[in-house]
Amino acid sequence: MRFQDAARDARAVVYSGIQADPQVARSAALLADATPAQRVLARAVMNGETTEPGPWRAMFPSLFGSSASGGDAERARSGAILEASLAVAERGEQVRSQVRGALVEELAAQLLARRVGAGAVRRERRVLFDGVRAEIHPYDVTVEQDGAAEVYDCKWGARGINGDVLHQLDDARTHAADEDERLAVALVVFDARRSCDVRLAHQTAPFERTAIVTLETLTELAEPRR
Amino acid sequence: MSAESIRDLIDRASDAYGVLEELGQEIEDEWSYVTDLADAWRTRFDDVVAGRGGVEASDEASGAIDLAIDEIGRIGDPHRAIDWLSTFPQLILLAIGERP
Repeated sequence: MRFQDAARDARAVVYSGIQADPQVARSAALLADATPAQRVLARAVMNGETTEPGPWRAMFPSLFGSSASGGDAERARSGAILEASLAVAERGEQVRSQVRGALVEELAAQLLARRVGAGAVRRERRVLFDGVRAEIHPYDVTVEQDGAAEVYDCKWGARGINGDVLHQLDDARTHAADEDERLAVALVVFDARRSCDVRLAHQTAPFERTAIVTLETLTELAEPRR
Repeated sequence: MSAESIRDLIDRASDAYGVLEELGQEIEDEWSYVTDLADAWRTRFDDVVAGRGGVEASDEASGAIDLAIDEIGRIGDPHRAIDWLSTFPQLILLAIGERP
């Protein structure tokens, strides 16, 4: 098993520009330390139509209201997440969609880097196995460590879960096992577990050995593996 | 405090959610997923009503629910409706002090 950079086709070049957008890194840094409620705020605003902060503040009384939990730092982070999310929402629909996807990838990469160090975390990588035809699509995020490699695909919402991505992840795990290598595979979804479970129930592809990381459990990417 | 209960807020949100569900069902390939997704979140709403339905709701919670209903009322694209079929219930539950 070995890792390789993905081919730099036209789509990859355009998308790398989105990934390098400072707004993506800034939003990801805020969300890396966010509470689940703050992540729901980001999801709602980046999906939303309203581009004024006032209505969003009123829609999230648990973050901005008189009974908001947390101290000044929590409230300041909520405000910063709202501001950053509005900046994404104000962009055109196509760009917004790309930024949201890049954001989930960057968020996963930042959290993983806290656990394994930034040097072990790579982006847009393919995994090659002897005698196996290479997958066309690269994995969004990889952790490349001897004996403890991990591959991640990332989705903005539960609807992004599909048979292709589940098969690709499970195939990688299986091929690695055939080479006596351990490869952990996971799907990171910036959506609620409940919605992901509904989507998964509609899939026939195998996912029993694929970790599903959701909006509620993102922080666990940064924690030691059990 | 508003004169409304948590049940009143959930009922109002559920009515708007039904309209959103119908919009999402316009994507024929996703009809089954959309229907199951809405059912799953309605089950969560039902659990909240069973536990705290009679509790008086705050003015802030009531206002939040109305604004969230306004927000989904702006959606005309069925694909975006499907996105919001997951997001809207999370927002509603947070507004009334529940975990999604």
